[in-house]
Amino acid sequence: MTQLYFDHAASAPRRDEVVAAMEQWQHGVVGNPSGAHRAAREARKAVEDARDEVAAFLGAKPGNVIFTGGGTEACHLAVAGVVNKHRRNNPTTSVVVSKIEHHAVLDCVEMLERDYDNVSVRYVDVDAEGVLDISSLESQLSDDTALVSVMSANNETGVIQPIGAVASAVGGRSVTHTDAVGAAPYIDLVEFTKDIDMISICSHKIGGPVNSGALILRSDISFDAVIPGGGQEKGHRGGTVDVAAAVGLAAAVKATMKDHEQTVKRATAYQDQIIAAAKQLKNCEVTSITAARLPGTVHLTFDGIASDELLFLLDQEGVCASAAASCSSGAAEPSHVLSAMGVPLSKARGSLRLSFGGETKPEEVNALIEILGQVVSRLQA
Amino acid sequence: MSGGVDSSVAAGLLIEQGHEVVGATLKLWGGVSDSGCCSVSDVDDARRVAQVLGIDHHVFNYTDEFEKHVVEPFVAGHAAGQSPNPCIECNRFLKFGLLFERAKRLGFEKVATGHHAQVIERDGKHFLVRGEDNQKDQSYVLGYLTEEELSMLLLPIGHMNKTTVRAEGERLGLRTWDKPDSQDVCFIEASKGREVFLRSRIPVTSAKIVDRTTGEVLGETETAELMTVGQRRGVLPGRDGEKRYVSKVDIASQRVEVGTLEQILISRIALDESSLTFSHEDLRDGATVLAQWSAHGIPKRATLRNENGWHIELHEPARPVAVGQSVVLYRESEPTIVEGAAIVAPS
Repeated sequence: MTQLYFDHAASAPRRDEVVAAMEQWQHGVVGNPSGAHRAAREARKAVEDARDEVAAFLGAKPGNVIFTGGGTEACHLAVAGVVNKHRRNNPTTSVVVSKIEHHAVLDCVEMLERDYDNVSVRYVDVDAEGVLDISSLESQLSDDTALVSVMSANNETGVIQPIGAVASAVGGRSVTHTDAVGAAPYIDLVEFTKDIDMISICSHKIGGPVNSGALILRSDISFDAVIPGGGQEKGHRGGTVDVAAAVGLAAAVKATMKDHEQTVKRATAYQDQIIAAAKQLKNCEVTSITAARLPGTVHLTFDGIASDELLFLLDQEGVCASAAASCSSGAAEPSHVLSAMGVPLSKARGSLRLSFGGETKPEEVNALIEILGQVVSRLQA
Repeated sequence: MSGGVDSSVAAGLLIEQGHEVVGATLKLWGGVSDSGCCSVSDVDDARRVAQVLGIDHHVFNYTDEFEKHVVEPFVAGHAAGQSPNPCIECNRFLKFGLLFERAKRLGFEKVATGHHAQVIERDGKHFLVRGEDNQKDQSYVLGYLTEEELSMLLLPIGHMNKTTVRAEGERLGLRTWDKPDSQDVCFIEASKGREVFLRSRIPVTSAKIVDRTTGEVLGETETAELMTVGQRRGVLPGRDGEKRYVSKVDIASQRVEVGTLEQILISRIALDESSLTFSHEDLRDGATVLAQWSAHGIPKRATLRNENGWHIELHEPARPVAVGQSVVLYRESEPTIVEGAAIVAPS
């Protein structure tokens, strides 16, 4: 059976140039970049070259790139790092996040609130289209707000968030962070995140390896390490730097920048085509249709159909897709994002996220549309 | 596939029998669990078993339905001084209700589980019979299944005892082969118990424990909702030194009546007519049946009656049965066939 991969937002296909770049650092002696000898120097050189590439992807200073073990860790380092530093030096600390953040941020702030009496979390609303409500954000800011974290684009709906307006509203009074993991494949982050202090990205959403990401700082921000250790990454992240992971991330950002225009053009055409087809399906609604969205994501809800059944039948036909929200067991679960948008449960339980990219082929999209139509009409029979 | 040895082996045996099998695990309880079948590690076990067996595995989320059909009635029952059996409701509404419907929609011909019970076919009709391993028999919790449901059900390990099941699991190389049996209600943390769970859901009621004949107050309970008729635990002996058993729980008047074993024994159990699963043709007034009202009990001989409402007359007196519990009726035959089930009604 042909595999039709429509789950790029979960993990994008590994790029050939990434595999080629990492090859050298996967065999035999790979020096510890912290060392002083020849092998270590070679490794260090590769890591610093990678740092330059990642800095260019964000338009940041190379010294402000911290390599991490993925997007979740990058978010955690930003959020917990800033909040921990603040709470140790102030009587109270608040952190302001959108209700539609990824669990990488939500679970982290919940943990901080649970563990420290002087830490509180304030949640910012989104409108019915899933766009952050700036007036809600303004109402949550206060003198003790250490950090404001709003994602660049939502991982479930693909809705792009008004990050520039977030920065303006905060006005430099608190540190700002954006989880740009989902946005990275499609949005020019140099311009889009220019007024944000901290940006998290991850490698495997742009064709790089998993367990590889970075936290990028736009300004000199002082924050705690989450993993203290050997003082690596300027003391922000202990542990030997994974040369292959850093090189892989660099190769992925380089390829993403190079293909950017073509990727956006292709994905936009696929998105239009899938949405046009979805509109023909009974009881199907395209989520956030009037909002600005990433071109590589189409989020649909089917009133009266369970995601579990839709995904099962799609899987039987070779289509890899997702309900976008799943718990650690792998079961589809009601989405906190759709709930924040006020989508009724009967619709939210019939969620389907189709995500694709520049390397998706037109015939794959055609096949997907045909199979989706068949599967949906079978479940509605 | 719950992640336990029984359903693991059931899947393995079906594959060996030549069936085309897909593994499914139901995510039922959304809260914290340290027992039963909904933890991430149990799902991981089920998934790994499916991988080793070379079959696809899917996790289906039924947490909302489980809350509505199992947890809420359980809490409401206790709040009313009853003792519903959540496993029966779960099997009835989820495993054999919603999952069967889903299986049909997705194009499956049969649903198999690892329950210790058996399905037999006679004259084109399907019947549920007790499992081979009497200690592990689970026909009680499947007692409400309809003929149509039974016709779609495969119980691949029902003819085996537990030792054989574990040996088969080891032979098949399944990591669950020596996993301990789950014992408790899956949504109640074994380390905290029913009381902590109930307190998190409803305000609990304290009550006086009163001797039913003398009216003497023998003690007090903080949670009358957890007292069940027939129970002795938590009840002090009377002044005569004889053991006392709960005979009545009245939440509204905060009163739990107790009596001696002799005083509380009953010989009549009323059945809620709306819950009866058998038709009048199957079971008539005056029929002799074997009745069981706990998950792992020995069925007791009784006569079915339909005078002043359906009820059974026990041939030997027994401790009282709580309203809300289920009684499963068996035919005294070889094999022992399930003939019907009903919920205990107030007498």
